[in-house]
Amino acid sequence: MNMKKHSLIAALATILLAPSVPAQSGNLVIEAGRIITQADGEIADGVIVIENGRIAAIGPADSTERPWDAPVVGGEDLVAFPGFVEAHTFRGMDRPNESIDVAAFLDIRDSIDPVSFFFENSVRNGITTLGVQQGNSCVVGGQGMVVRPVGMTVEQMMVRQPFGLKLSAAPKSGKSRTTQAQALRKAFADLREYLETLVQDERDESGKARREALFQGRDVDEEENQGRAMTGLAWTVDGLDIVPRGGVDQKERPLLQLVEGRWDAFFYCGAPMDVHLALEVARDNGFLHRTTLVLDDSCWKAAEIIAEAGVSVVLDNDMIHIERDPRTGDEIETFVPAVFQERGVRFALSSSNDTNRSLWYQAAFATGQGLDRRDALDAVTVVPAEILGLGDRVGRLEAGYDGNVVLFSGDPLDVSSWVEHVIIEGVHVYDRSEDVRIQHLHEGVDPRKSRGTSAALRSER
Amino acid sequence: MRNVLSTVCVLALASSATAQDDAGPWVIRADRVYTAAGEVFEGGFVAVANGKIVGVGPGGGGAGDELEAVCVTPGMVDLGARVVTHPDAVEQSTEVAASMRVAHALDLFDPRWKRELESGVTTVLATPPDSNVIGGLCIAVKTGGLTDVASRTVRADVALRGSFGTQPSQGNQSSSGTPQTFYVRRPTTRMGVEWTIRKAFYDALAGAQDPERDFEGADVLRRVLDGELVLGAQAWSTQDIRTAIYVKEEFGIERMFVDAAAEAWKEPDLLVRSGMAVVLPPLSFDGRVGPENAFFSWHSARELDELGVPFALSGHGAADPAARLAYQGGLAMRGGLSLEAALAAVTLAPARMIGIDDRVGSLEVGKDADLLLWSGTPFQPTSRIIGVMLDGRLVVDRREASE
Repeated sequence: MNMKKHSLIAALATILLAPSVPAQSGNLVIEAGRIITQADGEIADGVIVIENGRIAAIGPADSTERPWDAPVVGGEDLVAFPGFVEAHTFRGMDRPNESIDVAAFLDIRDSIDPVSFFFENSVRNGITTLGVQQGNSCVVGGQGMVVRPVGMTVEQMMVRQPFGLKLSAAPKSGKSRTTQAQALRKAFADLREYLETLVQDERDESGKARREALFQGRDVDEEENQGRAMTGLAWTVDGLDIVPRGGVDQKERPLLQLVEGRWDAFFYCGAPMDVHLALEVARDNGFLHRTTLVLDDSCWKAAEIIAEAGVSVVLDNDMIHIERDPRTGDEIETFVPAVFQERGVRFALSSSNDTNRSLWYQAAFATGQGLDRRDALDAVTVVPAEILGLGDRVGRLEAGYDGNVVLFSGDPLDVSSWVEHVIIEGVHVYDRSEDVRIQHLHEGVDPRKSRGTSAALRSER
Repeated sequence: MRNVLSTVCVLALASSATAQDDAGPWVIRADRVYTAAGEVFEGGFVAVANGKIVGVGPGGGGAGDELEAVCVTPGMVDLGARVVTHPDAVEQSTEVAASMRVAHALDLFDPRWKRELESGVTTVLATPPDSNVIGGLCIAVKTGGLTDVASRTVRADVALRGSFGTQPSQGNQSSSGTPQTFYVRRPTTRMGVEWTIRKAFYDALAGAQDPERDFEGADVLRRVLDGELVLGAQAWSTQDIRTAIYVKEEFGIERMFVDAAAEAWKEPDLLVRSGMAVVLPPLSFDGRVGPENAFFSWHSARELDELGVPFALSGHGAADPAARLAYQGGLAMRGGLSLEAALAAVTLAPARMIGIDDRVGSLEVGKDADLLLWSGTPFQPTSRIIGVMLDGRLVVDRREASE
């Protein structure tokens, strides 16, 4: 029994530690005429040395030691930038919305399509880390995960799994605002009632929790499955320590984790009025400190209470909110990021559902509208990395960070610059010169013939 | 240049007496003045008085209230702005409505005018919605000013609108099994649309020979055939662009452009041979655009530029601020077009296509004082239009907000 347990742990550890980007070693030297580190400014004529998928060294080319045997990517005319980070998306899935209201027991791992164009386009635009969550039409959605947009299987894509739970304060399709609010509160009331019943059962020595654990294949002797007192910030159930955690139904576990402050919530607000409900539910159930609001562009109007609550936000890909004055008919435009910037709210930009406006473009557009360049760049790298709990792994080019690097043909925010190469954890996953699809889209080269441009076809006629 | 400068001083002095509110005179100074007429002045100026440009050049010069910007360009001209969309702007009684004037269907209270103006488009070609094969006469108008068409008109009857493809036939019914309505005689196929447009020109020619066969609007069609009037026809896909080219060649139409010609890049030889001008639609991320789902490659503008085909960009009146004409210039640059060529494609080139380049399209002495103040290099998403001047008035002023 003991032997078996140890080998299981060893096997588990192997799976967790092994870099999931397959086949290559993750050793690489990247050369660039300019490196924008997002940490300590810029480096001219620099190199980034990646070993085992992580940045081992970064610095000027003439003073940075590099392994003699690692392959080299880059050139002096290229600009290196950290891979972009998308804090929240619900794309790349089969269907993003579940019809069940409270579906926290579901896992989007079962829904992600690794070969979807969405992930392919993410790489093309230099996005190397994405937080994928269920769609916005839910009360409590399934468990999300953090992925890298490469790999043929979901397992190869995993960076953090599971990660995050989606909740929505905006009405799920078919609900009114009042029933949505009711359903949200009921989800947590139901959890509480369930836990209280469990404690009562245990006191009655029914053994139900142990039978449940057995049925779900959980060993109640393992540390994480043993009984312990509930640690909720807002409310607790007395006596839960006598119930083995392994006996808590799988369906209820994710919500319990949320209430105990062990899980991250992504709370969608479709209108400014939803913000109150979202903050209230998060506060009443003790997970406000682990909540990120996913906002519609109109929600800038609630910026003040968002600032007070101290939560981070993911902004809509429409950064200009347009409202029509009903009296004069005039359109009033509000540049949303500036409102949150003024209030000191930490925000990530998103390209949500539109690959045409990927993160490089969003950052450029935000700069054009008056955001400080550094703040705009942070909002597509450092801030979303922190929201995903990966602030010490991605979003910066620094020793110890993951080797996620984008090589641009020029400044990342210049409209004429292109993503030439993408490196994820030291593996060279994208080279524009070999991208047949982009050659079709941008040069008119037919992928079926892959010979000549329209100019070449012309000369044949 | 010295002549220009002295003219500036004289005119500026003459007009200073009549100066009022925001009407100038103005002197706009910028790190770079893009005239769109072939010159870029580093550290240049534009002098404006009485709604006209009275001086432009490097260095100082001019008198009046000072404005500053990083870059200055002419106001943009959009031939495909689609400012008229209301269904009642479509003449239902006939498929060939050559004598109709879209000027009578302009709704100057529609918010899209302000939208265009604030995003830097100062002149548009107002075209009828493409529900007729020949929709009527277009008018070139300013996007701001008083709310009456006469005061905003740059030039009336500058082009005749036509439309190839499936759009004019949409909603039309075939006669089988349905009651007789006037929809029945309209074409229901792409080939029917082509037939209708050719028949219209043939009938117009026949009408010139035989007064009994003449019809309303035939004189307008004959003005197109005589080279007096521009024909601007919508054609998204290769087959419709071909049809447009064959019609142009068959009837010897001198002045013609295809609008929303997404697939113009596919057969550049025909374009060059026919002398056809091209207005491109807005780009999309996957290359698929418009009602025909045409494939619009991102290198199109660069390709047309290299071949010497006259071309313009257009914004199609996008509601999304990040999809409007100023950003189309940037996306064309992403496809390989130079900044100078992108600028020409939203200013002088479209103005020339409809013959209003004596009034607008470039920063030259004597032209209308329509100009844009930029916070950085034009068309970069990192830049913003911080001021729009229309006929010498600063109608959009975002300088405070940008500081």
